[in-house]
Amino acid sequence: MTPQIEIASVDKHYGAYHALKDINLTIPRGAFTALVGPSGCGKSTLLRSIAGLESITSGNLRIAGTEMSGVPPRKRDVAMVFQSYALYPHMNVLGNLTYSLRFKGFNKEQARKKADEVAQVIGLTELLERYPRELSGGQRQRVAMGRAIICEPKAFLFDEPLSNLDAALRVHMRMEIRALHDRLGATSVYVTHDQVEAMTMADHVVVMRAGVIEQQGAPLELYDNPANKFVAGFIGSPAMNFLDATVAEDGRSARLEIAGKPVLPLARTLQPGREVTVGLRPEHLRIDTAAPRLQVPVRVVESTGSLTYSTTETEPELMIVEQGRGRYRAGETLPLTIAPEDIHLFDPTSGTAL
Amino acid sequence: MTRLPVPRLFLALAMVLAAIYLFPLYWMYATSLKGQSEIFANPPTFWPRDPDPSIYPETWERRSMGRFLWNSLVIGTGVTALTVLLGTGCAYVLARYRSAWVDLGLFAILMLQVLPASVMITPLYVGFNQLGLLSYPRTAVILAAAGKAIPFYIVLVRATFMNVPRELEEAALVDGNSRWGAFFFIVLPLARNGILVLAILTFMQAFGEYIYAKSIITTQAYQPASVGLSGFLGPNSTDWNGIMAYAAIYVTPIVAIFVILQRRIVAGLTSGALK
Repeated sequence: MTPQIEIASVDKHYGAYHALKDINLTIPRGAFTALVGPSGCGKSTLLRSIAGLESITSGNLRIAGTEMSGVPPRKRDVAMVFQSYALYPHMNVLGNLTYSLRFKGFNKEQARKKADEVAQVIGLTELLERYPRELSGGQRQRVAMGRAIICEPKAFLFDEPLSNLDAALRVHMRMEIRALHDRLGATSVYVTHDQVEAMTMADHVVVMRAGVIEQQGAPLELYDNPANKFVAGFIGSPAMNFLDATVAEDGRSARLEIAGKPVLPLARTLQPGREVTVGLRPEHLRIDTAAPRLQVPVRVVESTGSLTYSTTETEPELMIVEQGRGRYRAGETLPLTIAPEDIHLFDPTSGTAL
Repeated sequence: MTRLPVPRLFLALAMVLAAIYLFPLYWMYATSLKGQSEIFANPPTFWPRDPDPSIYPETWERRSMGRFLWNSLVIGTGVTALTVLLGTGCAYVLARYRSAWVDLGLFAILMLQVLPASVMITPLYVGFNQLGLLSYPRTAVILAAAGKAIPFYIVLVRATFMNVPRELEEAALVDGNSRWGAFFFIVLPLARNGILVLAILTFMQAFGEYIYAKSIITTQAYQPASVGLSGFLGPNSTDWNGIMAYAAIYVTPIVAIFVILQRRIVAGLTSGALK
């Protein structure tokens, strides 16, 4: 696919602070890419660098083949949706939608016609005369989207656009944004700290930490084959359980460093005696009364009806997700098992996947 | 339900205080309408027995108030224009950029605010004399008074600018505005109320400016109404109803502006004029 945004060896310094470290990222035309990571990881800085709101210290940034370092935001032909929506409070919805068109040589009727089309697409036709303060959160969100799509930009940049909405609306808008992206055939870059948003919306997920890209790839690829402990812990909810372990004498099983020293068979052979970090996803730990691999006492059981979350009494504690209502109560012992191919192994010092 | 009498008590106290402060204003209007003998009557009359408004046109003519008020207007307008033009830009920069230098600048500005005009006038006078500015006395007063008004203006307009979210400007930049365009089309309209209120306050203050005008302007033809009023007052002055009529003519426009705009002024000062 043709690359729409190419980022090569980009660095960004704020004085002594190194915000982006050697970022390399290619975003194909028409792709939905999510930048995800904990706060302060540089994802917003990267997005703002693409928009031109931040300058990069070194490296190359191309949008649709044109070098963009030093080019002001207005000449980059991108659109941005902000976390606070950043609607102009002194203009009504129509004014907000058409504001960017006045810089692109549209006259009043053309702009009005375009605004009507966009309002149709995002369902705002009734609200064109309203002011932002008279709109609900979801409607404001929509206006912000409309303002972005009206100028048919080379790329849409989203900066945590859903974090100000309540949970139900967030799930709904998630689908709407993705549907809009598909309908417009747009190229989107989406910043979020919520891995669920990244996983559900994006074709390509970029996990960042401390100014570095830790791993990028298709959502399920990150879930199945995390490159390191950080990505493994960040992707998936509830988070992966990590336990210290030692590879047993046969090299094909690992002895966990929790009470009872249970042994789990591995899908591959490792050097006996080697220390490893074992990663077990809560949803991969199954209750197995016939041949349990490990027996752990339960401390807390929380059930939503469809799923039950159990937290164990062990040190460190384990989280187990079970379908349906839980059969075990706090204080009882859970018989657990896990398929060898579901066990993730990491180097305990570097955190890299083995 | 029993309500504590405390809020009412405070309200009553506030009313009494307001009455004490407003009494001189009332006394000014009342005295201006009294006859010479009634002014000194004991006990005093609170409402003139025989109101005589003819004192107003008479004082206007006799004290050539037209010229004085014109000078006040020139000075007030000049100070306001200068303050708004220079202060708005300064306030914006100080609101948007953070660095040690900005903090230092703000501190210096607040220091300027602390120095009273009576202390500043001597060095200013000497300086203006050196520069030959004393030949343009009204311009000199405008510069001096604007210098006094700008710090106050900057500090408060800066607060207004800080209430305009930065993301709005960034949205404007991405939408196709230049830095200047974002300032003029997005930030300025949103800070308009705050700027307007402070411009009015600056004008009202400059309209009543006394110390600089009294010291710098020696030619009577260029003196503002405040200095003209003080010309009335001598050790043996007895023309109290003339003085009061003069004061009433001088003060009424300002009071009128304030009454008309007070809702906006109060709102602008307390809320930062936006949301």
